[in-house]
Amino acid sequence: MSEHIQSHKAKKVIDRLGKKLNRQIVGSMVACVHCGMCTESCHYVLSHPDDPTMAPAYKADRIRKLFKRHYDWTGRVFPWWVKAGTVNTDQDLEELKDFVFGRCTNCRRCSVNCPMGVDFAVFNRMARGLLVSVGVMPEGVAVVSKDQWEVGNQMGVLREEYLDTLEWLSDELKDEFGEDAAIPIDKPDPNIVYTINPREVKYDPRTISDAAKIFHAARENWTMPSDGWDMTNFGLFSGDDELGGAVANRVYEKVVELRGKKLVMSECGHGYRSTRCEGPNWAARDITFEMESSVITMLRYVKEGRIKLDKSKNNLSYTYHDSCNFARSCGMTEEPRELLNLVVSDFREMHPNRAENYCCTGGGGAMSMSEYTPRRLKSAKVKADQLKATGAKVVVTSCHNCVDGLNDLIKHYQLDMKVMQLVNLVSTALVVEKKAEEPVAPVAAKPAAQKTLAGRTLLVIDDEPDVCVFLSTVLEDNGAKVFVANDGPTGLALARQHKPDLITLDLSMPGQDGGQVFDAIRRDSQLQKTRVCIITGKPDLRRLIYGREVARPEGYLDKPVDEKTLLLNVRKIIEATEMVQ
Amino acid sequence: MSESLRFAEDKLQIIALLFMAAVYTTRLIWLFRFKAGRDRQPTTATDPNNKTKAVLWSWSIIAMPWAMESQRRHFFFYLQFVFFHLGVVASITLSFIIPYWPQLLQPLGVQRAVQFFIGMAFAVACLRVVRRVSKPVLRKISSPDDYFSLVLLTVWFFFALLSVPNSTAGGEAILLTFFWLTAFFLVYVPFSKISHYLYYPITRYYFGKTMGHRGTFPLRRAA
Repeated sequence: MSEHIQSHKAKKVIDRLGKKLNRQIVGSMVACVHCGMCTESCHYVLSHPDDPTMAPAYKADRIRKLFKRHYDWTGRVFPWWVKAGTVNTDQDLEELKDFVFGRCTNCRRCSVNCPMGVDFAVFNRMARGLLVSVGVMPEGVAVVSKDQWEVGNQMGVLREEYLDTLEWLSDELKDEFGEDAAIPIDKPDPNIVYTINPREVKYDPRTISDAAKIFHAARENWTMPSDGWDMTNFGLFSGDDELGGAVANRVYEKVVELRGKKLVMSECGHGYRSTRCEGPNWAARDITFEMESSVITMLRYVKEGRIKLDKSKNNLSYTYHDSCNFARSCGMTEEPRELLNLVVSDFREMHPNRAENYCCTGGGGAMSMSEYTPRRLKSAKVKADQLKATGAKVVVTSCHNCVDGLNDLIKHYQLDMKVMQLVNLVSTALVVEKKAEEPVAPVAAKPAAQKTLAGRTLLVIDDEPDVCVFLSTVLEDNGAKVFVANDGPTGLALARQHKPDLITLDLSMPGQDGGQVFDAIRRDSQLQKTRVCIITGKPDLRRLIYGREVARPEGYLDKPVDEKTLLLNVRKIIEATEMVQ
Repeated sequence: MSESLRFAEDKLQIIALLFMAAVYTTRLIWLFRFKAGRDRQPTTATDPNNKTKAVLWSWSIIAMPWAMESQRRHFFFYLQFVFFHLGVVASITLSFIIPYWPQLLQPLGVQRAVQFFIGMAFAVACLRVVRRVSKPVLRKISSPDDYFSLVLLTVWFFFALLSVPNSTAGGEAILLTFFWLTAFFLVYVPFSKISHYLYYPITRYYFGKTMGHRGTFPLRRAA
């Protein structure tokens, strides 16, 4: 097809490509010799051995051909000789989208295995940014980017919800450790400003309280900010430098406002990389304060004797997964291992490891792109085999994205393992003084079978009988009155009749799916304020919730959910929201 | 020696070399016109001087087959790479020695040594042709330039091998072909992927610098 009938979007992509080129990218474009040495470094290739289009060099050439055709010598004069090409139609852009978003997690494994130093991950990200700039992107990328622009964090967590969660966690901590264990918010002149992944608010608030415990035990002068608290950055995945800079700036501005000495990021690979390494470049800003990962912080506390650990409390077998962004893009491979060896006794290295480790397959924003889930899970076979070979019961990682990615593949390949983060292990191993018991024992002591959900009415909506039995039993054992529905219409009828304090809602149901039920709840004047916690075994089905013009669910949990996590999240959602009322 | 051969091994090579140099200079100016991205943030490496170490490590990576998983896994391929490029060096050197220092090729031992390296390179080149047409991934990614460059070099090695004795006893055809192929090679190279050796120090410099700043290079492996 001749170029003069290029679509508007295709023309824009080509024009903007020229503006994105820098010396490093041009070098990567011209230096490839098609030797094929990168081929077997890619988890997509290893899991799709009969598909040559998964090879990094082939994927790179989908972008490189544009450069050759429009900006390089031989490609402009004899395009067929060097396989130069262009994009003409919106369909061409959709095909390119499939390559740059759906066949690469930007893990950089091919880059470190290229003899020529071609950094494919960097120009793959560039290509993503070009497509995003003309509105061509997976739906999940659009939704999450919009949330981060408009709400200030990737999961659309409202300020009130974030602060309520911290306040609720503070109350729990104060009950256990005393008043000074509370989570400080916007405390001026702290040594540490602690920022997190919004997933911790919505999915796993224990990681926040675990970190708070550690800071308390270390007698740290720390705070969490009331805004600019999301250190994750979807600009890294979407290729949108403007978003990347804006998001990073929000965090930096808050640290400056609070006069914090150091910005500490919770365990998130892409968040650490974006905030610590890429953000200053995107935001064109020189940073005047220190920045470090919480892994380094915890390790320093141990080495300085500020916290004491009892590794016998972590008595399973553990292996460590290196997050691509930590290991390959930020060089952090030894510190997590050093810390892990201080908190566990049975550590088993996986192979390969460190900067040669395989991607969890959930990186690069893959977890938000549900249309590529089957391909992603197939590509995860090499990681599953790697995990299985260790014989470990727990895989530890310092990245929330990897937690999701690994959990998904563990479920898919039916591995007998669970995923934990270093903060969980350190918190468990922590030797810390708890609040002294009051002398009047019968009132102060918490009986083992306290009904923490006494007086609550809950509704479980799930089509799986086993899940319904499990959830209702746990909730009833803790004092709640529980109604159960196996389908959407029954669930809605029960909700209108009994006005539950909280609804747990499955997404994958026959007939009316969970997304439709959720929408109906939010649009019903009687039910719209009802708290909803999504509990699903198919996290990619969250797309049924994304993009709906209604208030988000109050929580998300992945199946299988354990009793402790279920209770913590149900209580947190109910009690934290009640605190504002 | 005929005038044709004298021209082919001397003036023709100089013209071709000058042309290649001019094109390469223009190419480098073009490349360096693109602004280099820089790392604004403080280093994440524990050693603040890690960047320099990392650049040196990055440049040396082709001489360290243990350093990259792809080289470790395909050691035989790596050995082929070594012999192929030694053959390139030997053949290029030959194109200078024959016209200007032919006496260096008189000892039989020297001839055999040079022929060994060029012969190995020729064998590797033949293997590479087979590899490129037989492996589905390589067929998928290869362009006409990839095939042509490989065939060109294979044929060039063949004539280089035969040219080592520098003898016109059986006629000048072999030497003439070798020198005309060399000239063509010099003119073609700047427009083809064969010029990767020009980019190698640049790409490896920037990749090493970035990865060194990040503390990733030099790569650490478990014992």
